[in-house]
Amino acid sequence: MTTAPRRQHTLEVLVENAPGVLARVAGLFSRRAFNIDSLNVGPTENPAISKMLIVVGVEGHSLEQVIAQLDKLISVISIKEILNGNATEVHDTQPDYQN
Amino acid sequence: MATHVHTPNGTEMTGATSLVKSLEAAGVEVMFGLPGGAILPAYDPIFDSTIRHILVRHEQGAGHAATGYAQVTGRAGVCIATSGPGATNLVTPLMDAAMDSVPLVAITGQVPSAAIGTDAFQEADIRGITMPFTKHSYLITDPDEIPRAFAEAFHIATTGRPGPVLVDIAKDALQKMTKFNWPSSIDLAGYKPQISPNAQAIADAAALITQSSKPVFYIGGGVIKANAHKELRQLVELLGAPVVTTLMARGAFPDSHPLHMGMPGMHGTVAAVTALQKADLLITLGARFDDRVTGKLSTFAVNAKILHADIDPAEIGKNRHADVGVVGDVKETISALIPALKAALAKNQPDLSAWLRQMNSLKSTYPLGYDLPTDGSLSPQHVIQRIGQISGTDTIFTAGVGQHQMWASQFISYEHPRTWLNSGGAGTMGYGVPAAMGAKVGAPDSTVWAIDGDGCFQMTNQELVTCALNNIPIKVAIINNESLGMVRQWQTLFYEGRYSNTSLDSKRVPNFPMLAESMGCVGLACDNPADLDKTIEMAMSINDQPVVVDFRVQKDAMVWPMVAAGTSNDEIMIARATAPDWDSQEL
Repeated sequence: MTTAPRRQHTLEVLVENAPGVLARVAGLFSRRAFNIDSLNVGPTENPAISKMLIVVGVEGHSLEQVIAQLDKLISVISIKEILNGNATEVHDTQPDYQN
Repeated sequence: MATHVHTPNGTEMTGATSLVKSLEAAGVEVMFGLPGGAILPAYDPIFDSTIRHILVRHEQGAGHAATGYAQVTGRAGVCIATSGPGATNLVTPLMDAAMDSVPLVAITGQVPSAAIGTDAFQEADIRGITMPFTKHSYLITDPDEIPRAFAEAFHIATTGRPGPVLVDIAKDALQKMTKFNWPSSIDLAGYKPQISPNAQAIADAAALITQSSKPVFYIGGGVIKANAHKELRQLVELLGAPVVTTLMARGAFPDSHPLHMGMPGMHGTVAAVTALQKADLLITLGARFDDRVTGKLSTFAVNAKILHADIDPAEIGKNRHADVGVVGDVKETISALIPALKAALAKNQPDLSAWLRQMNSLKSTYPLGYDLPTDGSLSPQHVIQRIGQISGTDTIFTAGVGQHQMWASQFISYEHPRTWLNSGGAGTMGYGVPAAMGAKVGAPDSTVWAIDGDGCFQMTNQELVTCALNNIPIKVAIINNESLGMVRQWQTLFYEGRYSNTSLDSKRVPNFPMLAESMGCVGLACDNPADLDKTIEMAMSINDQPVVVDFRVQKDAMVWPMVAAGTSNDEIMIARATAPDWDSQEL
């Protein structure tokens, strides 16, 4: 449960492709005072699933708390952090206590 | 347990009938609601259903009644309303249920799908409005989706960390024909709550406990939600450490138990607050480090390590860093911890005797108490204490929010889980009467008392009509201090006694006994100590009608102890400008 010193983190979030999901994610960031530096939403090979790329500004919150709150949304299927800007080098950032 | 009515899959019916069949399949026995245009198609098959529908007088009453029902039974409460204002009247109960982790399924009608987005008559985006405080929500425009949505809604509401789920259904989806298809199993890719705790985390937890010489069990409402009170008692007695139960956890551990230090927090006991402050380890089970418990967070339990067990991973580390976090159902967590701790204690048994001596000294030096008025008027604390003593520990109590709520938590002895229902997180004035109605429906053989304030009572008392007409004989004690008492207390303490807009004149208007009688209840009043016991006994003797007692109490009583908002728990006051005598305590 250590917070990386970097201020920005990029999360790849797979979500249900359903009405209202963007509002759920945006609303969560807004009401918990988390910062979104940028947000992209696009399709995946599975038409039932969309992919969000969220650049999170972490100040005053731990990245783990952002991920844990995001993971509580039923419409969120998985969350990974992208390291080194390389989409293939993703790793699962679920907090250790969840494994 | 509910009798599940199985309708064969593939049966052709309207969406409305599919909704009712879905509720039957989910085992729903009772729902609280009020019809209107958009939900009207559903009310036709409700007319024929085995499910008891209780017609409320205001949708807010339906929501809190469903919460009271859920808190007493452990099952999901169900409320139903129409679109627009009917739905928005459920907003407060949904927020309330989210804050206190109550399993609730709220059903709302929505305007026909073609009219959505046109500002149609009674159109409100209730899913959008409630998104911040529903665990999940649905907007159904296709009748084929109804059974799956309800199966998921009940699953989500009642598993993991319980919470409210909203199902909004467009009117045309209720009217169209569909084939009923109840799913045999539920698999949600984005919802897999962790029930069993991680074995390594349990081992770490046991090790942390044996390294502590000043541990405290910090018990939250999750223990009651998980039905873990028996396991908790085993664990506590195994270690022999002091226990505090939060406002949401009253009854999770018997008040009469010698290791119980009472309730912590803003109006907690000196022993409970100090136990947390001076501990070297908080064994936190199903609690969430709420600001009303921690006081100023940076000064909370500064020397304590934190063991935090919760079903919700997001709670661990949210307000306070956890040295060991355990995610899982707290009953399973405690059950796993007991043998692990036994094994660890066999190797290393810490000596807690000095710590227990200190805590017991505080407990006996600073018991909860109050001064009886010298002018012969009724003391609110005494009224509440006598109701508790006369009605006994099997009674279910609900409360509104304010001074009477704190006194009901302090001066009634709770021995069993699910006997104390209140609005802890949301602080919803008006919760008491409708929650008592729902509690009585869920536990018809129990005595149910709503300890209410004169302010709170005037927000939701219309549900006494519902109680009178539906044979729901609750008892209501109005602790009538003719003011918004807690706000007035803050004005006394922090606003130089400038009582801006806190006087309700409730000893003049309304006439509460007459109001009660007009709603089909028995109305009683009591304004002097000599009549107190016989008035309570008279209320206890009436079981075929709701009873309302107007206890006309003195208005200057204050809730003590108190940790003022935003200050440290170290600054607890036992009376105005009076701190405990710390110098005489060895801490």
